[in-house]
Amino acid sequence: MRMSNRAGLIAALALLILLLFMPQIAPHIGLAVSVCTEVLLYAIAAMAVNLLIGYTGVLPFGNAAFFGLGAYGAGLTIQYFHVGFIASIVLGTIAALVGAVLIGPFLLRRRGIYFALLMIAFGQVFYFIAYRFTDITGGEDGMNFARPAVEGLGLVLKDQQFYYAMLLVFALVMIGFLFLVRSPFGRTLLAIKENETRARYLGLNTDRFIFVALLISAIMEGLAGACYGLSIMFAYPLMLDWHNSGNIVLMTILGGSGTIFGPFIGAIIFVIGQEILSTHWIWWQIPLGALFVACVLGFPKGILGTILDAVERRRGGFAYEARDTVHGTVYSEREIQP
Amino acid sequence: MSEGKPDRKSFLTTAAITSAGLVTGFPAILPSRAFAADTLRVGLNEEYTGVYAAYAQSETRGAQMAMDAWNARGGVMGGTKVELVQADNNNNPGTSVEKTRQLVLVQKCAVLMGTINSADSLAVSGAANALNTFFIDSGGHADAVTGEKCAYSSFRTCHSTWMETHATGYSLAKKFGKKWYMIIPDYAFGHALQAGYHDVAKKIGVEFVGEDLTPLGTTDFSPYLTKVLAAKPDLLLVLVQGDDFVNCLKQTTQYGIVGKVPIGGPQVELEAVWALPKEARVGYWGVEWYYKGASVLGSGNKLADDFIAAYQKKYGQPPTARSAFGYITMDRLLWTVNEAKTTNAAKMARALEGAKFRSIWEGEGYYRDVDHQLMWPMWVGQIRAQGTADDKYDIFDIVDRQEAEAIEQSVAEKKAVCHMNWPT
Amino acid sequence: MAHIAPEIFNGLILGAFYAVVAIGLSLIMNLTGTINMAHGSFMTLAGYLAFALVSAGTSYWFALAVAPILTLVVGVLMERTLIRPLYKRDPVYSLLLTFGLSLIAEETYRLVWGDNGVPFSPPQSLQSAVSLGFIEFPAYRLFIAGVLLVIIVALVIFLQRTRVGLRLRAAVQDNEMIAALGTNTQLLYMMNFGLGILLAGVAGVLASGMLGLNPQTGNALLMPAFVTVIVGGMGSLFGAVAGGMLIGLTISVVTLYIPAASEIAMYVLMAVILLVRPRGLFGEEGIFG
Repeated sequence: MRMSNRAGLIAALALLILLLFMPQIAPHIGLAVSVCTEVLLYAIAAMAVNLLIGYTGVLPFGNAAFFGLGAYGAGLTIQYFHVGFIASIVLGTIAALVGAVLIGPFLLRRRGIYFALLMIAFGQVFYFIAYRFTDITGGEDGMNFARPAVEGLGLVLKDQQFYYAMLLVFALVMIGFLFLVRSPFGRTLLAIKENETRARYLGLNTDRFIFVALLISAIMEGLAGACYGLSIMFAYPLMLDWHNSGNIVLMTILGGSGTIFGPFIGAIIFVIGQEILSTHWIWWQIPLGALFVACVLGFPKGILGTILDAVERRRGGFAYEARDTVHGTVYSEREIQP
Repeated sequence: MSEGKPDRKSFLTTAAITSAGLVTGFPAILPSRAFAADTLRVGLNEEYTGVYAAYAQSETRGAQMAMDAWNARGGVMGGTKVELVQADNNNNPGTSVEKTRQLVLVQKCAVLMGTINSADSLAVSGAANALNTFFIDSGGHADAVTGEKCAYSSFRTCHSTWMETHATGYSLAKKFGKKWYMIIPDYAFGHALQAGYHDVAKKIGVEFVGEDLTPLGTTDFSPYLTKVLAAKPDLLLVLVQGDDFVNCLKQTTQYGIVGKVPIGGPQVELEAVWALPKEARVGYWGVEWYYKGASVLGSGNKLADDFIAAYQKKYGQPPTARSAFGYITMDRLLWTVNEAKTTNAAKMARALEGAKFRSIWEGEGYYRDVDHQLMWPMWVGQIRAQGTADDKYDIFDIVDRQEAEAIEQSVAEKKAVCHMNWPT
Repeated sequence: MAHIAPEIFNGLILGAFYAVVAIGLSLIMNLTGTINMAHGSFMTLAGYLAFALVSAGTSYWFALAVAPILTLVVGVLMERTLIRPLYKRDPVYSLLLTFGLSLIAEETYRLVWGDNGVPFSPPQSLQSAVSLGFIEFPAYRLFIAGVLLVIIVALVIFLQRTRVGLRLRAAVQDNEMIAALGTNTQLLYMMNFGLGILLAGVAGVLASGMLGLNPQTGNALLMPAFVTVIVGGMGSLFGAVAGGMLIGLTISVVTLYIPAASEIAMYVLMAVILLVRPRGLFGEEGIFG
């Protein structure tokens, strides 16, 4: 619990102040406030993925399913049960959690490539369900829903107010994440990522830890999704598709998996970058794909990871282990950092 | 494991500096947008990337031509020029909503038009309504846009799904008979089409000798086509869209159905037909507008003739229904601003509702009060294997025309589902 | 009941497609741990190259033979430059890289050949329906069945009977050992990848004639191929074929009786098999063939 460091606190405060003033800054750089909200929410989603890739060492390539479940959970409960703002977010998050509980046992049987494949496949099942049950979900047309009033306040949050509400959520999730990775649980996850066999020999039930990590990740992802649904007042099947998963994983890796702030930076670059690119080039998918390629080949530790490494190297210390390339599978050897 | 952790300070410091730098550094790399003062900016939100890109381009071209015509006449409201601001929603509802907000809040568009994909139309309609901004859906067919999800600030130009099924249903039943086999894509659009044809069946007494829901991603229609031949229907309705449509038609040829059973369906886009391989150029389809034919254009329709000639000259191809949607939408949008002398959505809506006008088809049209749907006729055409002797693009033979009031839901029916949230 | 016969046949053909694609994927995954999300893009590329050749005047048969080879060349170039650096790393990177490549590929196809697909048909000689006694069946599909069968047999012979095949199988079991024994493993990886892409290429050209050619043709076959790999078990050629057939049949038959459930059927099957045999039907850790 080393929050005592004054400089660290000041840095965090500086970031917070910047985020507080985003709604004022944003129009001057040609962005609507809702894009900033989108950055925050995708940052949460990327953090969820980070928990799995950077701290547990598994490949969650179907994570968008939980994102989508969150959005649909919120939307459906608003549409059919007329719940309030906070209730819809909670229910959406629960929907994602249920999804994770359902598919978790299947995923746990395998690791590495198989885990990734399975998660992609199961993610697609949810996509088909959203697509197929058109009477309930609206199918590929998606579902429109109004933003409900906040319970107790009787107030429907407009753009700026909504942004601040999301900033609060983001801050809480960030703090929670910090506590989580610093906790014994978080340490155990790192041990599993490092070398699962060794962790098992030490008597740890790695399956259970990974399952819990998956659940927590799903909760964060679902929370982000529910809030995003409320932001655009819409839920649609593509939210669940593996392309969305890929984008979120890219944000994590781009920013730096295994770091606390990496996903946030990745989300900024991705969301705003996409916004700018798509305005100017119709064929913006090409630079996007090139970004994937460049990031994987050139920046495997992500931007933040690479920066922190450089800082570390100058100090002469060991590179922080979570930032390393993700633990290899049976087929690849993990290299020891000098 | 307790060695080698970086300290917090460097973590957070670097993180904070990086993010601050990135965010505040952005203005340096963003191009500056020069806003011309005193113009009316129309936001055009379209699917420029993705499978609908060709339609988006046609709609944009039509819209541009209408806008140029108004600007040539001096603009709107006594001299204000009109400017078009395009946004690519990437065929994604989330992006559609973000772009809507950007067009209105950042790029100061006073009015909006566009969208092709139903999901995007619904998303934009909702988002525009939340911003109290006038929006005309030029190309999204979902019934809900002028149905359960209608909004006082939203209008629609292209025909609704209901109109498509009823126009073709009545027409083809008359032509071929009342024993039908339907192949339906198993998703929202397909279900809507199915419901529409069931309603037609109820109204004129059609019997379904077979109905198959094809799953998402079906590219192989053989299971259904073998059943079709056995069932001996008067008409085979193919409701699948896009590339599935092409495959299905190709396969009907391969299975020898063409020639034995007439094939038809709710609608087909000219851009798509031009790209069809020879063996798939069959059937009778709903056509929302066509650039030839007296039943479509009338005779001596100067507006239509000028539009078609100018379009052909500028782009080297004839205008399609999509071009027409873009043209009519922009034209009516600007007319409404001019008429209402404001861009206030409620006032514009009142001005446009029920106002009869003539445009690039034969007859009068109007956007209905109850649901804001443009009431204009729909046509049925047969695809020719190739164009005519002097026009390779002319591959439709228009065989029938159905009037709007007969093919859309009645005012009473719409009143039951569409509740517009007019501001007080 | 007469309906079921053509369905079974169709299911087998579809299954053969999935099998060929799954084998390609599996070869690549198995030896180097590379998850190739761009596999579908290579299939589409082969289709477009075939289309380009035919449009330039060559015969369909020429295109069918040459396009996969051209695709192979592109694939090998990719492997040398972009994928080789990832061999030592975790599969997530190859996933991401190939995912990025698939985005670039799809957009490039749109730019070059348009968004909406191009008309690509098998030659006239294959366009008719052949009477098989109790049913009429499109000749083109019979042709596809034949080609796929030949490919699978050729592959088995290659892997079991040739020296290169032997090395490939040995490398999958233990690539350090085989390097120590003097085999050029980099060359082997390249050939392995090339083989996988060649298979994708042939499948792509054949699929384009049957399913239509557009920027997403290959991707439609990719998910079922992944499921086939999971169901059949990684590391097993026989598993990929058996798995593919099983999935193809399941989808076809379920489509006939409960169309609504057919997409999910594939995943339900996958889930059930994983519960009973987590390795897949014939999966072995690392042994191929």
